[in-house]
Amino acid sequence: MKLLREVVSGLIKMFIGDIWLTVGILAIVLLTALLTGSGAVPPLFGGALLFLGCAVVLLASVVLYGWRHRDR
Amino acid sequence: MVSFTTAAPAVSAAFVASLVEVVEAFTIVLAAGTLRGWRGAVAGTAAGLAMLALIVVVLGPLLDQVPLQSLQLVIGVLLLLFGLGWLRKAVLRAAGIIALHDENAAFAAETANLGNTITRGFDWLGAVMAFKAVLLEGLEVVFIVIAVGAGRGLLVPASLGALAACIVVLAIGAIVHRPLARVPENTLKFAVGVILSAFGVFWTGEGLGIAWPGADLMILVFAAAFLLVGLAGVAMVRRPSRVITS
Repeated sequence: MKLLREVVSGLIKMFIGDIWLTVGILAIVLLTALLTGSGAVPPLFGGALLFLGCAVVLLASVVLYGWRHRDR
Repeated sequence: MVSFTTAAPAVSAAFVASLVEVVEAFTIVLAAGTLRGWRGAVAGTAAGLAMLALIVVVLGPLLDQVPLQSLQLVIGVLLLLFGLGWLRKAVLRAAGIIALHDENAAFAAETANLGNTITRGFDWLGAVMAFKAVLLEGLEVVFIVIAVGAGRGLLVPASLGALAACIVVLAIGAIVHRPLARVPENTLKFAVGVILSAFGVFWTGEGLGIAWPGADLMILVFAAAFLLVGLAGVAMVRRPSRVITS
């Protein structure tokens, strides 16, 4: 049972290392899906949004963590 | 016909990611074998590999039933979560914000956990330890192989990339017989994070119906862009080196 718990916990940690990174990525994917799915923006614009959004979320997550833990 | 631009990143991602994971699993199996006897460690490793094979055999045919676009979207999002997570950690390690993974320290920690009783017969503690290590690290390898291989019919080449990594680590491990601490693990994780994130954006986009210009070539463009973003992240948060004044 303990082994199973560790396997499940390992699986979850594979995809949710940092909760804000996860939330940010899912929000970007959802926004891209809504905008391209509804035809509000051309698909390629949605693609650019997806990439740039992920890049910004990554940088924000790194910078915030870095600044918070820099002097520890 | 599988194009080189798709196959090369998939195979290299599977190889390099597997290298990282197999090195970590090898450290624990080595600790279990050295301290608790090799019979248990080898049996645990074999059981772990059998469990992973079973997961692949069960999961493989199921994936064939899922429509390609839905499969690409789900795997693309999972790749983004996994790849950007690895890239984030690699950036923070490269910047000196969090400590680098040290195989010698990991070996010492596992050794302390196992105690120093060398057993002659079959040792269950060593077997369970090895089984757990192979299963947990192997799950990440299985996910990466499926993720980079499933959407483009590259499961076999990606599996061969992972298998090659296992052979390389086991061969070197058998020769040196100690933790492979000199493997530049963070550099490899950085590279894998970049490649998986690129695949993630590409497949999520395809799953959402975006026709990328240049088709598969965009994976390389995204990889180059994520590499720049990662390096920029390191530069932005790098811990300043301390100046010693007398």
